[in-house]
Order: sequence, then structure tokens, then C-alpha cells
Amino acid sequence: MILLTFRDLVYRKTRFIVVTILGAVVFALLFVMTGLVNQFNLEPAETIEQFGADQWVLPEGVSAPFTSVSVMPAAAFDAVEASRKSPVVITRSSVSQGGETEEVVLIGFEADGLGMPQVVEGRASGAEGEVVLDRSLDIDVGADITVAGAPFTVVGLTEATTVLAGIPFAYLTLADAQMLAFTSTEVISSVLVSGELAPLPPGLTSLSSDDVVAQTLQPLEGAIASIDLVRALLWIVAAIIVGAVVYLSALDRQRDFAVLKAVGAPNSSLLGSLALQAVLIALGAVALAAIIQVFLAPRFPLPVTVPARAFWQLPVLAVVMALAAGAIGMRKVLRSDPSQAFSGAGA
Amino acid sequence: MTVGPLIVSDLVVEFIHDGYAIRPLDNLSFQAQAGELVVLLGPSGCGKTTLLSCLGGILTPTSGTIRLGDVDVTAMRGKQLDAYRRDDIGFVFQAFNLIPSLTARENIAVPLTLTGHDRKESFARADELLEQVGLADRANHLPSRLSGGQMQRVAVARGLGHNPPLLLADEPTANLDHIQAEAIIRLLQGLRDDGRMIVVSTHDARLVPIADRIVHMVPPDQHEERPTHDVTFAAGESIFEQGDPADLVYVVKTGEVDVIRVLADGGEERLNHLGPDQYFGELGPFLGFPRSASVRAHTDVVLTAYSPRIFREKVLHKH
Repeated sequence: MILLTFRDLVYRKTRFIVVTILGAVVFALLFVMTGLVNQFNLEPAETIEQFGADQWVLPEGVSAPFTSVSVMPAAAFDAVEASRKSPVVITRSSVSQGGETEEVVLIGFEADGLGMPQVVEGRASGAEGEVVLDRSLDIDVGADITVAGAPFTVVGLTEATTVLAGIPFAYLTLADAQMLAFTSTEVISSVLVSGELAPLPPGLTSLSSDDVVAQTLQPLEGAIASIDLVRALLWIVAAIIVGAVVYLSALDRQRDFAVLKAVGAPNSSLLGSLALQAVLIALGAVALAAIIQVFLAPRFPLPVTVPARAFWQLPVLAVVMALAAGAIGMRKVLRSDPSQAFSGAGA
Repeated sequence: MTVGPLIVSDLVVEFIHDGYAIRPLDNLSFQAQAGELVVLLGPSGCGKTTLLSCLGGILTPTSGTIRLGDVDVTAMRGKQLDAYRRDDIGFVFQAFNLIPSLTARENIAVPLTLTGHDRKESFARADELLEQVGLADRANHLPSRLSGGQMQRVAVARGLGHNPPLLLADEPTANLDHIQAEAIIRLLQGLRDDGRMIVVSTHDARLVPIADRIVHMVPPDQHEERPTHDVTFAAGESIFEQGDPADLVYVVKTGEVDVIRVLADGGEERLNHLGPDQYFGELGPFLGFPRSASVRAHTDVVLTAYSPRIFREKVLHKH
């Protein structure tokens, strides 16, 4: 059966190579789409974890710190009783360098407090006019930039500090952020809490970090659902490609199967040969796709993180899909009549 | 390898085609012994391949029996037939029907491995058979790189893979030049001499001299010339029935006849209505086909019956 399958693949190699490449392009897109959705899901969790907070204290009526405007008097900070607490400013702004402007989320933090950036290069901003940027902005340490029109010097870089599908963070001292966002040092956005939190005074509420993650993901749910739909369509396209080539193969080999049936070959062997062909095409396409996505993912405008599980889930699903898609061709084999071996011109 | 006699009794195969029944085999009977080369002789469309399909357990006849030794082939179904084909029958198909992606050696060995034989033994057997048919040096060639005669020899070798006692060959010399045909005939002779029964369907008269038994699929006296004579039929009487052997051509002298197609469900469809000086039933005798329709007297009729040759000379040429 293996020899029969292998020889047929070689005999019709042009067709199978073309189909494998077509399938690989579709599977590569599936890899990237999977990586995109994975990145959407990972992003808020990774980012919010870096604040080191268990609870986020917000004014009542504010759904989440990154998806709605949160403003509270700085004095509210004193009213919050907790094991460890830090004030934080969060607001949307922009950074400019060399005429190029990028949207960012400004984070104003207290030195040595919760929310302090975990710097991977340089150091944390500690003085007025210093800023730490997410590495995705592609601005080097030492660069002079403007934040909301004010001059700043980049002193450090962070990684994986983005929200809402890649909007990077810019960390400033609390005072700088307060002045840029509110032109006042009497206002903050939230109080980050670690450990025990006593009952809050009226007008304040708290969200767990998990709640903040969920709320931050919410605006992307429509995009994720759209990508999931595209992924489903890509699976259908892949199934059509594999199914069509298996069906064509079954049609081409109908007389071969009739001859083999006539000499007593069981249906199981012939079905096995066709099924193996479908599986080999699918696996070949997935293997090629795994290589293509390495080159494709960095060229994608949004961050893509293909999860490790995709590299075994996709082949398994592809095999199941190939067998299902090949079922029509296999039915053709089951229905091939051994008496056809007696008719017509063959090889 | 030797097997008991092959006994075919009253074999009927009837197909439904486009709503009417056709009967390529109609009460066929013959016997053959092990070590005989049986030639099924007849023109295209006379049922030779249908008979081979029945003998090979590929087609179940409408009625009648086929016995090979102690085995009633017509009583077998499903897996019994698979086993019968796998163990007792070797097939040599018309137009070779080799698998184009496999080499000559693999074309012989792969069917063996697919039917449960050991892979190593299958390839050893393939080498042995290629040696026997004189193609050892072509073992690794694809069919596309073999001549017609070479492909047919590979097909014969494939048919012999499991050393079957009965080899069925469908038109084994068709499409071959006389040199290649001679090689195949010599090969079949040798296989017969090994004690194997070989049934060959052909319209190639070159096979007749080496046959131990000839089964005429069309009665040999069908085209014997009979004198022109008049026949009379009463109204409603059958002149001939659909599926009958065709021997004579009729011209209506007086009266009228109906040409009727008998349908598969037993119903009838009137195709034509003929009167004096009109003729019918000419194509069957000319082509060697059975009657394709029934003809009945619509009124009392007098018909003149001609042999095909006389009809062609005396009637057709006048028209």
C-alpha cells in the first residue's frame, strides 16, 4: 500500500507539488491568524502582569483603566488602605521623533512603586524629562523625542508592554505624566494595590488584575471573532484543495483500483492508499507552511505569536480534515466496479 | 494448481439499458478440462467479456451456473468471491491495464502484497515471472517505456502471480502486431502445457489452431445461406423476438407487421409499423448481433425471407 501510494505521488508529482504549495500558503495563513489571535489574548495578560498589582482601585463607573478615561483626586490615594499601594496615571497620548508620530499609552509611575517599568535595556525613568518606551516603537535609548509635544529623553526600553493590539507604553515619572495628562499633580488615574485591600470609601471601586485583563481584551473581541471566521474559511479552502486533489486522484486511478479489486485486493488496502495520499499531502503542506510562516509573520503589521501548540494541533487537524475531505474520493474507490478492469484502453 | 473441470450451464446475463433489456449471454453452456486452452470466439459485443467477468467472479449472472471443480462460482458472494478471484483466477485484461505509476516488477508484485502475500516473496515471484515471460531486463521500466507486446507479457505475468489454476485472458492479442501476437500465443501455449486451464476471449482467428476447445459465442451456422422462401403468419403471431439470434431478413409481401421494443418492466413500445414492400430485420444478420426488437404480425401476413447475402444483392441494391 505504501509503495503504491508513494509511486503514485511520484508519478503525478507536478500536481501534488502544486497542491502542496497551495495548501502550504493556506496553512501558513492559518498559522499567522492563529498567532495573531494568540497574541491578542496574551498581550493584556503579559502587560498587566508587569504592573505587579493584585487590585486596581478606580472611580466608580469606570469600566477599566485602559478602555475608559479614569480620573480621581490624588487625595483618594490616602483613603485607600492596603498592604502596598501606588498611584498611577494612565492616559492615551503620542510620541514623535523625526516627524513620525506614534500613538502610545502614557503610564505615570511612582519610583520604586507598583507599576514601575521592568526595563530590559537602559534604566527606569527617575527624573523629569525622562521616558522609558516599549521596544516595539523602535526608538533607541538616548534618543530625544517629544511626548504630547514636550521634550523627553529615552532612558530605557521595555518589552511586551502594549495593549489593544500593539499600542505601546511610554513610562514617565508620576509628576510628568500628571502634568501632561491633567496639567495638575492633584489628579491620578488609579491606585495599584498589592496584598490585602481594606473596604474602599464611597465613590471608589476595585478590579482584580484578571478583570482588567478581561476588560482590556473586550474591544478586540470583534476583531478576534472576525479572524476566527477567516480561519474557518481558510480551513474550508484547505479542505477543498486536499479534497479536490484526492478526488481527481481517485478518478484518474479508477481503472487501477478496478484492476486491483478484480485480482482480489481488499477495499481497505485501496482506501488506505488514497487516505495515506491525502494525509501526506496535508502533512507536507503543513510542514512547508511552518517554514513559510517564519518569514511571513514578521512582515505582518500586527504582532504575531504562533503558540507552540499550533505546531501539533494544526497537523492533527489537517490530517482529520484531509481524511474528511478525501472521503468523496474514497467513496469513488469503494464504488469502483472490478468489471471496469475489462473495459477500455489502459496503460 | 490443477483444478477440476469448468462446467458452464444455461448461463444467462441480462442487462437493463435505456429502459430495455439486452441479453449478451443467452443460455450458454460448455465444459472445459484442466490443461485446456479454451477460445471464446465471436465478434465484438457478442458477450465474450461478459462471460469472462462471470467466470472470474466479477459479474453475477442472471441465471445458470458456473462450476469450477467442486466450487459453485455462481453461488458465491462478497468475500467468498474476493477469495476466489484472489486464489483461483488470474486475469489478463484487454489493453493490458497495467498501473502506470508502477514498474513492470511492481505491477506484478504489488497486487500480491495487497492480497496478503509477503513483500519479499512477492518481489521474488515477480522476478521469476518476468524471467519466464522474457522480460527480466525490463523489470524496472514503467509501462510507458514498454512496447505493446511487452506490456501484454507483463499483464500475463501479473495474472500468473499467485499461480492460479484458471487464467482468463481478454483479447490478449488485440492491438499487437504479428510478431508480438506470436510471442503471446507461444506464452499461452506454454502455460496451458503446465496443466493450467486458460480461457481466452478473442475475435483473432490466429488463436483458433492452438485452441483445445472453441466456444462460438455466435452460432457458427448463423450466417449459412438459406434459400429464399415465403413464410406466413397469422395476425398477432410473433415473427421473431427481441434477443433472438438473427439469421434472415424479411420483406413484407402482403399484410402489415409491428416492430416492438420490449422494455425492462415487461411493457412494450411500438417502434414502427410496416406494410407491403417494406423490409425489416436486416442489421442483426449483417452485424452478427441478436435481434434488437420483436416483430409481430399486425394482420395476416406473407413475408419473403432472405439470407443476408441474397437480400443485399437482390433487394437492397434495387432500392
